[in-house]
Amino acid sequence: MRNIIFKELKELSRDGRFKSAVVISCILLLLALITGVNQYKKSNQQLTESVSKERAIWETQGAKNPHSAAHYGTYAFKPKFALSLLDYGVTKYTGNSIFLEAHNRNEASFSEATDQTSLARFGTLSINFVLIYLFPLIIILIGYNSYTKELENKTLTMLKSQGVSSVKLILGKWFATIIPIFILTIFTFLVIGVVLSNVHDLAFFSWSSLMTLLGSYLVYYLIISTITVLVSLLSKSSGTSLVSTLLIWILFSFITPKVATNFANEAHPYPSKSEFNAAVAEDKKNGLDGHNPWNEAAQKLESETLEEYGVDKISELPFNYSGYRMQKGEEHEAQIYKKHYDILNEIAIKQNKVYGSLSFLSPFISLRFLSMDVSNTSDKLHWKFTNAAEKYRLQKQEFLNYDIKDNSKYGERGYTMTEKKFKQLPRFNFTPPTNLEIIKENTQNILFLCLWLFLPFVGLLIFSKNK
Amino acid sequence: MITTNNITKKYGDFTAINDLSFNVNEGEILCLLGANGAGKSTIINILLNFTLPTLGTAEINNLDVIKNPIKTKEFLTYIPENLMLYPTLSAVENLDYFTKLSNKTFDQQQLQNYLSKAGLEKAAHNNRVNTFSKGMRQKVGIALAIAKESKVLLLDEPTSGLDPKSSNEFISLLKKMKDDGVAILMATHDLFRAKEVSTHIGIMRSGILENYSSTSELTLKQLETIYLDIMNFKNVS
Repeated sequence: MRNIIFKELKELSRDGRFKSAVVISCILLLLALITGVNQYKKSNQQLTESVSKERAIWETQGAKNPHSAAHYGTYAFKPKFALSLLDYGVTKYTGNSIFLEAHNRNEASFSEATDQTSLARFGTLSINFVLIYLFPLIIILIGYNSYTKELENKTLTMLKSQGVSSVKLILGKWFATIIPIFILTIFTFLVIGVVLSNVHDLAFFSWSSLMTLLGSYLVYYLIISTITVLVSLLSKSSGTSLVSTLLIWILFSFITPKVATNFANEAHPYPSKSEFNAAVAEDKKNGLDGHNPWNEAAQKLESETLEEYGVDKISELPFNYSGYRMQKGEEHEAQIYKKHYDILNEIAIKQNKVYGSLSFLSPFISLRFLSMDVSNTSDKLHWKFTNAAEKYRLQKQEFLNYDIKDNSKYGERGYTMTEKKFKQLPRFNFTPPTNLEIIKENTQNILFLCLWLFLPFVGLLIFSKNK
Repeated sequence: MITTNNITKKYGDFTAINDLSFNVNEGEILCLLGANGAGKSTIINILLNFTLPTLGTAEINNLDVIKNPIKTKEFLTYIPENLMLYPTLSAVENLDYFTKLSNKTFDQQQLQNYLSKAGLEKAAHNNRVNTFSKGMRQKVGIALAIAKESKVLLLDEPTSGLDPKSSNEFISLLKKMKDDGVAILMATHDLFRAKEVSTHIGIMRSGILENYSSTSELTLKQLETIYLDIMNFKNVS
């Protein structure tokens, strides 16, 4: 088999089409890497500046009433993850910062897409684009005629007369299809790894995540290689094989993902922005259960608190009731937001499930989910970020409200919190899941990829035995 | 060395070969003559185990070709009517590849020697074979047989389409291989070449071996008469 592999590789090295495709892909990769790194550095610098500027504004706002400060608000910024350089995922559309203020849970804003012109609709060059669309095309270019050329050139007869078994021949061709793309991919990832390692202020870069991504892409290329060689084995001519493999590539990369999006949206539609706001307003007005609005709940809270402390008036309480009530009010509203954002999250999860379940039509879907998750650029990660930001918002509100509660008197006007105290507010800190956690979360995608590899490979062995 | 025992091959109702038996020993060349569809290529395909016989057995070097499909191929080299090689590889590289597939490894010098023995000019050794004529490609095939030390050579219309010079060169090579003890089975239409090179001649018609003679017992004229007679062209002759 080694001889077959070497011969195939030697022929390939003399194939002008292959050499051109590799050169073009390498140039595109280089361009994507250069622009990606520059973009990353720029975005990361903006982020770092924004984080420190926002914090400085917060810390130097001077003595101020804590509730005014709560309304004045701060921002929670999503880190610019290192591997987003490789796979942008949904980051262009999800926004990278959330305004944190009293009484309101806001959505992330300042997405890259909103900062770009309509030209952005045509897409941008990224490393991921080359990896998921162009590399499979190179595989097709290498392997579409791997078997049919032996038929067409009539060299198959010579091979068979030398006693070469069909299985050995096909496996040799399979390896010869895989090896060039493996070398190219491993080299690409090593270059990316070295470049990333040398970028300053890199957020959450780990070689293990990069290697997981590499592994995922290699498995995907194995699948494409296996299918390409299998189609060549089953085709009567190279032309038929090429057209068939390209159709499969189109089905995998374009048709199925788009159909899956339509299915997911149809099966679990997202409410419009106005519907969502109306539902939140309704619950704010009438309470979570529809008949227990905050003003009634606030009255109940007051009587319960008075009873608990054995006093008749709130002015007799050992703390400033206003701060306490504001905090409880915040928690009440937070529950309403939680309810509605949980509904949205649930819809997103269901949509992703529908989308993911169509992986049986295309391994591309599993790869995309896995790649975005490992790169921390997925919708799932964005939800984790927004939930973390909301948790921090509540923590911040509690910090401010309890300052009023503990340090001011009921009815006291003009109370201010010192600048020093503002500095004590913990910073927002978002840590993404570990690589291992991501792998566990993606068990289904990994299984789908393994299945996609296993079945065509078995097909390859069975059909080659019959040749 | 090459033995067929009562081979019959049927495709549905059509009988391609009917009860065919022959033997080709070391240092013998059997030329199978016959019109298209006579069954000449079918018998070669059976010996290569590309086609299974309906009845009977075929042996190469006393090994049943069906029971030992890989082993029997170690002893033989097959040169089809139009021997095709890998166009982007040179003659040396093609030879290197095919010999390695037969589990034999040679250095560059040895490979070039084999090509020279097969009559391929040295200047062509490292040229890509996409520039080669049919005759040159067949010389690479012969070089393979020499390198493999094949005991059996199966040839299917090897001289068809060759110019006279190439044809003569090829026939000379076959004679040399015969003298070296190789058993050769050659399917051909070419009576003149068959008479020139063979030790035995078999004339086939509709899958039946109508005549089997020692070449030395026949003159070319006699051979032509027998051939045409069998082919039902008596009146023409």
